[in-house]
Amino acid sequence: MRAAHCAVLATAALSACATQNLSIRNLPAETPAADNAEAVENAAALAAVESAVTQNNTAQERDRGVIPLTMADAPSMYSYDPWERINRFTYRFNARFDDAILLPVADQYRRIPRPIRSGVHNFFANLDEVKTVVNYALQLHPAAGAHSLGRFVINSTIGIGGLFDVAGKFHLKREPTGFSATLAGWGRHPGPYLVIPLLGPATLRDGVGLLGDYGVSYVIDLARLYRGYQAWALEVVDAVDQRANIGFRYYATGSPFEYETVRFLYVHRELIEDAALHATEHPPGHDPNEPAGR
Amino acid sequence: MRGRAAFVVALAFLAVATWASAALAGQSAPSLPNRDPATGLADSAALRATVFGTPPQDIATLPETVPLQEINIALPWARQIPEVFWFDRRLRVWFSAQEKPAPLAIVISGVGSDGNTANLKVLRAVLYGAGYHVLTMPSPTFPGFIVAASSTGVAGDLIQDGRDLYASMQEIISHLPKHADITDVDILGYSLGGANAAVVKSIADAGGKLKIHRAVMINPPVSLFASVARLDELFALSIGSGDAGVERLYRRLYARLANLFRTTAEVQIDESNMLASVAAVLKSDADFSAAIALTFRIALMNMFFAGDLYARTGVVVDPANPPHVGDSLEETARILRDKPFADYFAEVFAPYYLAHRANSTVESLKADNRLDIIASALRANPDYFGQTNNDDVILDRTELAWLRTTLGGRLAVYDHGGHLGNLGDRIQVADMLDMLAGRWQAVKQ
Repeated sequence: MRAAHCAVLATAALSACATQNLSIRNLPAETPAADNAEAVENAAALAAVESAVTQNNTAQERDRGVIPLTMADAPSMYSYDPWERINRFTYRFNARFDDAILLPVADQYRRIPRPIRSGVHNFFANLDEVKTVVNYALQLHPAAGAHSLGRFVINSTIGIGGLFDVAGKFHLKREPTGFSATLAGWGRHPGPYLVIPLLGPATLRDGVGLLGDYGVSYVIDLARLYRGYQAWALEVVDAVDQRANIGFRYYATGSPFEYETVRFLYVHRELIEDAALHATEHPPGHDPNEPAGR
Repeated sequence: MRGRAAFVVALAFLAVATWASAALAGQSAPSLPNRDPATGLADSAALRATVFGTPPQDIATLPETVPLQEINIALPWARQIPEVFWFDRRLRVWFSAQEKPAPLAIVISGVGSDGNTANLKVLRAVLYGAGYHVLTMPSPTFPGFIVAASSTGVAGDLIQDGRDLYASMQEIISHLPKHADITDVDILGYSLGGANAAVVKSIADAGGKLKIHRAVMINPPVSLFASVARLDELFALSIGSGDAGVERLYRRLYARLANLFRTTAEVQIDESNMLASVAAVLKSDADFSAAIALTFRIALMNMFFAGDLYARTGVVVDPANPPHVGDSLEETARILRDKPFADYFAEVFAPYYLAHRANSTVESLKADNRLDIIASALRANPDYFGQTNNDDVILDRTELAWLRTTLGGRLAVYDHGGHLGNLGDRIQVADMLDMLAGRWQAVKQ
């Protein structure tokens, strides 16, 4: 019954949006002075990274046994997308849903004072540490697991249930991982490109990873947050918080090739991350006629 | 929902691409006359400035906050929307309103770009800070404009694009929120948008309902086709033609990016290492040139596709059977990637305009795309201004000289900056505001 109500509401909102001839969306005010100050800092940080990369890392990384890739190691430019037809329809559905529902709600959410929003954001990031710890264990990275566990313990206690990122202040940076990365560590390829309803671009491996991570959270059921109505409420608030923190806009490119562009970037980013995960191994040979990710 | 980190990171990665193209947006071609004899490419500093834009520490003082509204408007003359462009039904523009009566500054984007690029954000901020209401508009070559606002669907003609822009502005202004009290209207644009702005003012001066007071062109081309022809050559020079050229570029960039992440032991690509990623893949003049050429080519692919669809010229889109939402466009994109502007002109633009514009010839169509068409206004009317750079890679010496003689004392020429590589810096902004306020000549002469 509840689902039926939601469906009717969603359809109404989607069709209202599709027929309106004029809409004025109040965006959160831009903050150019602060943004530029941040850009100045980033530029300085970049200069530091550049010199570090060129001076120190090369020798260090040689010791670590990193095998550099050559042009021949690059996978095909084309992505493996056997479910393209349905993916394209899902992409359009996601774009419409985002425009009609998720984005307007996220706009309202951003009117809430920043400290409160940070609290919400930190709370969810803290919950995420649970599956991060589990996955580092599965990846046999005890140090990284201990790091995330430490963050979780500090933030859950001193940080009042995760509302404050106290660990971050002690330079314990958040280093999330998930089951998709674990699968990658076990040598699983990304597999077919997959556009997940409401969530967006992924690969089959990411989809499985997502289910795995949710399964972990569900089984552990921390503070009984993952069963019953509160689980729904939790997911909705989490989704809105995530959306409010992402600058992406569907079809901001205006381009008929946006689907191809997003797919290329998504799949190849994942392949580069995989390549980084296996930095000391010889890259797998790629058949140039085989689409990437297969 | 807990595992959506991957999605967030993907979006961040997409933002890398958007950032990179925003940084590049709007340029036309590095000019061959300025090229470095050793590499065959344009001057190194100019290329670097063109790719990376104004260093943030040189940006003029910006206000703390700027209010912003996104306006989506369906225009009454819009044609039936092809299914593949379902998302471009309404024209999207951005508006920042002052709380008291104020002049309105309308700003037009560069080639293929929307109305909210990084360059436009900077201009919006300084103009709002100086007391203007600000309306930022996409380029008439942006697919969202072609679909929602163009009366032809075939972009790239200065006069036709100017008319469509002007009509859209009138429609938008009549729908602006009531509290925005407009005392005067000025117009600006960067790159191709600069030429568009000047043409729009000339249309308004010829008896339009919406009066436009002053126009400022920032790094405008003098001849659109000449600049773009240079770009085709640059593409061939830095990337090469056919699939092999693009494939080689892709493999080079992939290997560099993968090696960056392999050696830094970072296994997630996100916002924090975005800048480093871009800097890691773009190193040499050849890389900068390839990035500029490719960015423009991507803009051209969109324009070509839309033009071919609307003009029913059948180059990549079968007019009898246009693509649907579920259809792959990969093959179409692959064909278009290899098509220079000269092909767009010969296969879509010229056939369409020769059929629709009385007494036109291929030569007249080319001539119509030079700023010459409004030369007398630029020469005589004291309300036109221009800003450009001595090393702007889209102009050759003759074109720069033409701007100097035509605008005379109303042109500011800076020594360095390449194309748009000094947009938003303190001097460019101070001069631009003086020009808009009509006090620039008094200060400089």
